[in-house]
Amino acid sequence: MSSNGQPKRRAILAFVLNRSGVLNKISMLIRRKMYNVETLTVCATLQPGISRLTLTLREANDAKALQVVKQLEKMTEVISARELDIDQSFWREVAIVKFEGDNNLLAALDQRFPMEILDRRERGLCVAQIAGTSKRIDDFIAAIGKEKVVEVARSGFTAMEM
Amino acid sequence: MTTGKELVLKALEDLGVRYVFGYTGGAIMPIFDEMERRKCFTFIMARHEQGAAFMAQGISRASQSTADPQIGVCMATSGPGAMNLVTAVADAMMDSVPLLAVTGQVATGVIATDAFQESDVVGVMMPLTKQTYMPLAADRIEETLHEAIYVAMTGRGGPVLVDIPKDVQTQAVSDGYRFDPSAFQPELPGFYYSPAPEREAVRRAVALINQSERPIVLCGHGVVSRSAGEDLRIFAEKARIPIGFTLHGLSALPVDHPLSLGMVGMHGTVEANRALLHADLILSLGMRFDDRVTGKLETFAPNAKVIHVEIDPSEIDKNVSTMVALNADVGEVLRLLARDPQITSQPRRAWFESIEAFRRETAAEVEEEIAAGVGREGRLLMKYIVRRLSEVTAGKDIIVSDVGQHQMILARFYNFQTPNSWFTSGGAGTMGCALPMAVGVKLARPGERVWAVMGDGGFQMNLQELGTVMEYQIDIKIVLLNNGYLGMVRQWQTLFYDGRYAGTPLKSPDFGLIAQAYGIPYRRVTDTDEVGEALRQAVDHPGAFMLELRCDPSEIVLPMVPAGGGIADMIVSKKQIGESK
Repeated sequence: MSSNGQPKRRAILAFVLNRSGVLNKISMLIRRKMYNVETLTVCATLQPGISRLTLTLREANDAKALQVVKQLEKMTEVISARELDIDQSFWREVAIVKFEGDNNLLAALDQRFPMEILDRRERGLCVAQIAGTSKRIDDFIAAIGKEKVVEVARSGFTAMEM
Repeated sequence: MTTGKELVLKALEDLGVRYVFGYTGGAIMPIFDEMERRKCFTFIMARHEQGAAFMAQGISRASQSTADPQIGVCMATSGPGAMNLVTAVADAMMDSVPLLAVTGQVATGVIATDAFQESDVVGVMMPLTKQTYMPLAADRIEETLHEAIYVAMTGRGGPVLVDIPKDVQTQAVSDGYRFDPSAFQPELPGFYYSPAPEREAVRRAVALINQSERPIVLCGHGVVSRSAGEDLRIFAEKARIPIGFTLHGLSALPVDHPLSLGMVGMHGTVEANRALLHADLILSLGMRFDDRVTGKLETFAPNAKVIHVEIDPSEIDKNVSTMVALNADVGEVLRLLARDPQITSQPRRAWFESIEAFRRETAAEVEEEIAAGVGREGRLLMKYIVRRLSEVTAGKDIIVSDVGQHQMILARFYNFQTPNSWFTSGGAGTMGCALPMAVGVKLARPGERVWAVMGDGGFQMNLQELGTVMEYQIDIKIVLLNNGYLGMVRQWQTLFYDGRYAGTPLKSPDFGLIAQAYGIPYRRVTDTDEVGEALRQAVDHPGAFMLELRCDPSEIVLPMVPAGGGIADMIVSKKQIGESK
């Protein structure tokens, strides 16, 4: 049941009641059980009072990942939780990147990436937004060049199954 | 106009609460004031909030097997009052004991200003309870308390906390407020409770049971709290399966039943642990494979398939992988198994012959020790005292135990006959639990005799509760096993720390004078000849009685699975210790 090897990246999707203390409980659970969580995002759903929560973590052991799901489901406020099938789901995040770029760099980036310039100031300071897979965002930042990047804000993953 | 404090008491009354244990203070005064006016409960004033919460635990633990299961309720004020509840609430969580803690909070207007006696009680209690609540309007109080008690008592039991700001206690309900307790259904879309077993899983479990040659039942707390001991007996006798008990599974059925192996685990019997090691099938009932049961997981029951019956789905496959998981009420599963015509009766002669051999392994050595009754310098052995206690009570009385050597010795040598007659802090292992817990147990089961057994360390952690015993004339028999040490830690120091007794010897006051100060009759016992007679004196005395027995600090609880070791590493005999030292 358990596989020992490289920690596998996993996404767990949960629907929770939008009540005070729920996020507190979930973050306490992560700390208490020492789960190796990478990202945690929460958003409203079409159903009032219910939030959608996406949690990604690295865990090699299937049984341990199942425990995360079970511990989440144990909470009265968690309506359901499950691990997403990595091959059947989309994982996306949004990044806002502030960097110093001239017209040449902007043109080159525009060619390769579906980005949106949010603001541009004198001395070439730009703020751009990009959405996509983790790899696309990593590539985007690499294309700008580390020495030109001032600040990066990444949203963490949200995910959906086919 | 109806106010919040009236609704708190109305809700508790509607929910059948009879006792409230607590300690007053600024932020809970309105509720106490209302309680004094209504006189609808017996209020028991503990001498410390921790005591109040353990007394409330006693009510829940002792009444869960009766026709009228009660939830223990404790009340405290904000800040330090609430913080003093924490240990006993965490203890209830570990042992799956339903408990309602009601705390006063500073008024909503000053919350988060570091007001006098303000603490974030909800924040502190969140990871230690099944659920926490803070109603912010009088209109919410009744539904909150009804939901809280439903959550605490449904499925796997546990504590809940309701923290009520002082202004909400005195607030009037809004016009047209209505609440019908009989029609109330908590709306909990995320609360999973599935008591009915799946037919297919039961069928697969029965097939495994019938195929097995060396099966063992692990009887846990769930069997006791669901009063399923009798069904377990019928099933186990029909299928011919030996039964090992977890600490909290003890007293599910008479422990001298021919199929009983006694307790399993770190200080379990030789026969129970050897049987676990050699079993080809483990049928675990209402238990959670605690590390004190399994020892090192990698070497636990290497050849056994596991059927796990457990109401809490998060416990299944947590520590031990299962072949068949039955996420259901263990009482319902046992009712089915006891009557399932598919269960075949098998002699399993070879298996029972090996078990008899396991039983004989150390029996003579143990009996020899008990016959001597004393260890070094003629000091009493705890196992001798427990054997005498078992004889004097015929194993029928209720035992409430503190934590340590005496607890393991009671678990090993008390001849439990009465269902649900053994109460102690297991998962948390909270020293000092026994005296206050015994108060609640006695109130829940007034017709039965209750013994509170403790060491000199644990007794001094909550001895202020002698005041409660005195004031409310609680008839409990206190057995103080005084060896001048924190015995279990001393035992580890003897075995694993080269006999350096760091922080374990303790000087005690004159316990006779303490008992006298509280008006409790007392007797000190030092000789084996006196033990039986002194126990009978305690039995004959109408009312609380305290016995202090001077014990041998060098007594070692065996068998013992060393921490971090597997069951196969079990030390069974004093001779082994001699060799390794």
